Amino acid sequence: MRSGDSYQVMLIGDSAVGKTCLLVRFKDNTFLSGSFISTVGIDFRNKVVNVDGTKVKLQIWDTAGQERFRSVTHAYYRDANALLLLYDVTNKASFDNIRAWLAEINEYAQDDVVIMLLGNKSDMTSERLVRREDGERLAKEYGTAFMETSAKTGLNVELAFMAIARDLKSRKSRRPNEPKFNVAEYVDQEKQKPSCCS
Amino acid sequence: MAAEISNDSPSDEILQGSEPGASRNSMLLATDSYDDLASYLSDTNLSSDRDRLSSGSISEITHPTETESFDPKSVISEEVGPEVVENEINEQLENSLDVSASPVDEPAALATSDSDTVTERIGLDTPTSQLSELSTDHSQPEACTGNNSDEQEEEVEYVHSQEWRQHRKHVFILSQSGKPIYSRHGDEDRLVTLMGVMQALVSVIGDGQDLLRCITAGSHKMVFLIRENLVLVAAARSIESMPQLLLQLTYVYNQVLSVLTLSQLSRIFKQRRNYDLRRLLTGAEKFFDNLLNTMDRDPCFFLGAVRCLPLESSMRDTIAQSIAQNAKVKDLVFAILIADNQLITLVRMKKYFLHPLDLHLIFNLVSASESFKAAESWTPICLPKFDSGGYLHAHISYMDEECRSCLLLLTVDRDVFFTLSECKEKIRERLVKYKCLAAIAESVDQNGYKTSQVGIPELRHFLYKSRSAAQFSCPEYEAPYHTADQRDRLFGLYQFLHHRIHSSSRPLKILFHVGSHETLLGWVTSGFELYAVFGPLVTKSAAINSVNKLLKWIKKEEDRFFILNSPTF
Repeated sequence: MRSGDSYQVMLIGDSAVGKTCLLVRFKDNTFLSGSFISTVGIDFRNKVVNVDGTKVKLQIWDTAGQERFRSVTHAYYRDANALLLLYDVTNKASFDNIRAWLAEINEYAQDDVVIMLLGNKSDMTSERLVRREDGERLAKEYGTAFMETSAKTGLNVELAFMAIARDLKSRKSRRPNEPKFNVAEYVDQEKQKPSCCS
Repeated sequence: MAAEISNDSPSDEILQGSEPGASRNSMLLATDSYDDLASYLSDTNLSSDRDRLSSGSISEITHPTETESFDPKSVISEEVGPEVVENEINEQLENSLDVSASPVDEPAALATSDSDTVTERIGLDTPTSQLSELSTDHSQPEACTGNNSDEQEEEVEYVHSQEWRQHRKHVFILSQSGKPIYSRHGDEDRLVTLMGVMQALVSVIGDGQDLLRCITAGSHKMVFLIRENLVLVAAARSIESMPQLLLQLTYVYNQVLSVLTLSQLSRIFKQRRNYDLRRLLTGAEKFFDNLLNTMDRDPCFFLGAVRCLPLESSMRDTIAQSIAQNAKVKDLVFAILIADNQLITLVRMKKYFLHPLDLHLIFNLVSASESFKAAESWTPICLPKFDSGGYLHAHISYMDEECRSCLLLLTVDRDVFFTLSECKEKIRERLVKYKCLAAIAESVDQNGYKTSQVGIPELRHFLYKSRSAAQFSCPEYEAPYHTADQRDRLFGLYQFLHHRIHSSSRPLKILFHVGSHETLLGWVTSGFELYAVFGPLVTKSAAINSVNKLLKWIKKEEDRFFILNSPTF
């Protein structure tokens, strides 16, 4: 493993759910509007974040969602410390595929990998097809943290990555008798709910 | 008004080996891309294990101990001189065309005796409904099932729409069982019936132990490339010849392999004959679109050659050294620096060569993908000429903020991303330090060189290919070829000239052609190919004098236009 506080984070999920947009919002605080630029293979970006006064380096793998890249991305699951699993709240199929993604994670990733389920594009209220409660229920079933995000407005984007950084860091520095950091609880406290959705 | 001189050469024929851009130590395989055509045209069984001119093998690199025995593979393809291959090709092309007894230029070039009837039936004005009857007649129900009559009517309407029909060139990919995979224009889902017809035609003629190659209907040519699992069809109303269209289909086929690998493709269709391949090609449409659009304007494809970014040779050497010294990583096969679809340098593992066709696919990957501009990428890519059986892993990154030059590091080891990322940073630092990036930017912005720099007033434009180096050079497209229409027309002239010279039934060494707007001179020797465009009033002797002068000029500039050495790690 790499020295210092450096962690590998991987973004996964169906094609066109907004993985790259989410990452660009987090890294550069901009939104990639206009035409859809699909990722080819895996893109790599670094971002150093500050958690309680210490620097944590996130090495972020942004994967292509298309089926033909699955066999390639599998190989990188085992090195990932955290996985951001995305679906698109306006695309029912992308939500239905989440179970298949979780099965893949189960098969290929490390046992202690941090998983966060994200329902992206929550700003598109009129086209929404997946209710927030559905996402919450699924996350509960699999015991993962969950929130809805919007790469367009920036809702919960920073929080998603920061929660992961916090969790990874606390795992490393935690003394045996300290309480375990619970990313799901932390996220529940901190996350903002989109004001206009039902 | 064409005068042809078949077996006559200008007085001072240049000796092979001293023509401009001659390379004794080429980094590219100098076999012409027409070799693919030859093997295809001479091949009647569709087995996938036909001999291929592969330049390497991934397993050879990953398991070096097992490989000593079949090491000569790459050497063989190197030793086969371009001349020999070319002759063989011509012979094979001729033979195969003799069998089908239908020279390309003549109408109704079809490979079987059924040709007349089928040609009549597929005439473009024939209603599709009739054609679908044809397909059902011949027991290919799966291609047409699932359509109720409403949908079929809608489809027929769609195929008859002016908008769809006006496209100059259609390209289709379908599976052996007739499932639509890709259509260059329009939604392939609405072309199910049409593709069913294509599949039926292929299968009917296949039943007679024959291969469907080409149908001519009026001004349209329909060319078929039939591979083990896929059928590729081009329907074009253009000046392009049948072999040229076939070559384009070969590129499209290789693009499929580049995305999926031949082994994966075979495995999928072995498991399920009627698999919908679109599932695995999602997101790859842009590669096909971009490739087809580029093939309509870039001569590199029919020339089977690569264009290099003009640079001082000392600068190019510095770049190559910066790369070679900082990318000493085990299992790194190729390091390639490109800008604007032109090669800057290629550093290779000793023993392994790249085929121009593979390099064209790499150019296509880079120019069709916006995502590489934003971050370092790690992507699997299959280079079908290198090894169609597996993926190489490519670390792809742009060297500068403006995204001019792009570095690709290709390895067989999927776990070395971070190592290559460090290499890339070191290489970039060197390129900045020695002002290489500035020199590249200058050359890119300058947009090549101008025809006027040659100093021949009547010369308008030219293409020059060094056959031993598999590289070509051409000046910028200036007036009168600066508009898209005129440039397309010039491209058509080059295709015409190329086809006439390489015509399998009557290959030429020199062709002098007087057209209404310009005069063309094509000249092919064992060392080079030259296609020159003059004003309409130039005489034959003046044109030949000019061409000799042009060759001297290119010779003088060859260090800038061509990569004549072949750096290795």
